[in-house]
Amino acid sequence: MTVDDPAVREMIRRAMVARIATLSGGGRPSITSLYFIPMNGHVWLGTADWTLAAREARADPRVSVLFQLEHNSGDRRILRISGQATVTTDEEIQKAYRWRVALKYILNPGGIANYATHWRQYRLMDQYHAQSAEKGKGCVIDVTPELAEYI
Amino acid sequence: MKRVTRDIDPESAHDLLERVPRACIAFAREEGPIAQPVALIWRDGRYQVGVPSAAARRPDAGDEVVLLVDEGRYFFDLRAIYIRGLAEPVDAPEAAPEGHTWYEITPTRTVAWDYGSLREVDDDR
Repeated sequence: MTVDDPAVREMIRRAMVARIATLSGGGRPSITSLYFIPMNGHVWLGTADWTLAAREARADPRVSVLFQLEHNSGDRRILRISGQATVTTDEEIQKAYRWRVALKYILNPGGIANYATHWRQYRLMDQYHAQSAEKGKGCVIDVTPELAEYI
Repeated sequence: MKRVTRDIDPESAHDLLERVPRACIAFAREEGPIAQPVALIWRDGRYQVGVPSAAARRPDAGDEVVLLVDEGRYFFDLRAIYIRGLAEPVDAPEAAPEGHTWYEITPTRTVAWDYGSLREVDDDR
């Protein structure tokens, strides 16, 4: 199976949460879950440049990312993409990422319902994001897939 | 000074260890990091993970691994528990699903988070 396989691209298009494994400069593993968007054959994962995932992807660009259809219990396949990551804080890329993330995770029935039922936490969410901005910049971990496998 | 945190007491995330919505481990190999979905049996405080026997790569005895158990799709539903530790091969636990190679993870660090539980705490860092 290649990374250009239509089934691979469809899984990446429909999955909601990516789990990305990274290595520290000293070779220690970590894994975390991040939001993402597919972009021209790449996968863009969003975080901040001070986070462990971003720092480790800069230290060692090799990454391993899992995708699954979280909302389809009838399809239990899990896709693993292995590839190379670059970390960018470029503002144009950030803008392109942010509005696509808004469409995918907020501006749809599920996202709207989720925000509507948690309206009391908007202030805390804004503060949380502001805290992150004080520590560093938003960034995109741009993954170029090299290998795709269903596992 | 106050700060907003997503962090929760890992005991508050024990339901994730019981229900296991999504579970995977990360470990290191020559070719780079490996993210591997796993079966999880959390019993009597012990973390036993099953890697499918067909998996091309598995942790070696004594490898450091990170276990991530998480759930959610939309922002305020995102929750997870993260356990870093050392993996040792063990016999399959009782009532374990077939077709897996089993490891017990001895935790060295455990953290948990819940974006639906954002709250202000004293900033004592």
